[in-house]
Amino acid sequence: MLNFEREISDIGPEAVAFIGNFKIVNSTLMIVLILIIFLLVYFLIVRKFKEQPDNTQSFMEILYENIALFIDQITGSRSKTEKILPIIATLFIFLGFSNLIGLIPGLTSITVGDVPLFRSPTADFNLTFTLALGAVIAIQVVSFKQNGLLGYLGQYFKVKHVYRSFRKGLQEGFTSLIDFGIGLLDIVGELAKVLSLSLRLFGNIYAGEVLAVILIGSLAWVVPAAWTTMNVLVGIIQALVFGSLVAAYYTLSTSTNEG
Amino acid sequence: MEIESARLIAKGLATLSMFGSALGEGYLIGKALEAIGRNPDQTGSIFSKMIIGVALAESTAIYAFVAFFLI
Repeated sequence: MLNFEREISDIGPEAVAFIGNFKIVNSTLMIVLILIIFLLVYFLIVRKFKEQPDNTQSFMEILYENIALFIDQITGSRSKTEKILPIIATLFIFLGFSNLIGLIPGLTSITVGDVPLFRSPTADFNLTFTLALGAVIAIQVVSFKQNGLLGYLGQYFKVKHVYRSFRKGLQEGFTSLIDFGIGLLDIVGELAKVLSLSLRLFGNIYAGEVLAVILIGSLAWVVPAAWTTMNVLVGIIQALVFGSLVAAYYTLSTSTNEG
Repeated sequence: MEIESARLIAKGLATLSMFGSALGEGYLIGKALEAIGRNPDQTGSIFSKMIIGVALAESTAIYAFVAFFLI
């Protein structure tokens, strides 16, 4: 019942248990495991922070400060960083963990029946799509609260801009019609942001898993070890890229003030 | 033509698009090395930005990879 074989996993996650008609998939189990690890770290380490830090606390403070400095480079000012630091740091750490936990040897080979019991959460397109969609919707809501309804719609339907350019002269009016078209294409751009964020993360981690299975099955020791090492690097970099892209989109949407 | 052979041909064609990402990444790394040569003090900062740029330029090749597994 518990054996250690390995086959290429499907694109979609496999069901492990059923509650009524609702299926629980193996990536959900892994997410619960990661959350339990985070809660353990909180209850055992963070609750006991003191004024004079010891080694573990200093390590966590270094981590926090470096993440804040990294986001500073994107947003430009400390006050803006303080607003989005909780979300971006959570994205970094959660995605970093979920990308790397699939590389622990043996963890994803435990099968129940013929279905693996655990699977990297980010190798499941549902998770990456949900995170990307949530981030883009959150950015839209922030922009809506800042600019009001007409200002928010005015970013995409640049009617005011066209009207003012036609008042200045016929030539500028016609060149401003191009800006109108670009404003309409921005709507498509938002959809492209969601798809590109989610597909980049999913593709990197899932393709890494599939290639690892293929390489371990066909070559001896050196090449699979080199590939797994590169997957460690790719996991950290992709978590960084996701978080910093969300921060960059946030900075872009809260700093465009025309005129 | 049977559907299975058409499917295999489509799988092969989907991997042709990874060629463009190699060109783009090579150009990007070349420019980063040039910048390091001009300003060797900033090597750490330029290198980390280059890594993020490479991950972004790799995206379209990853889309092609996912399409390969979907077909």
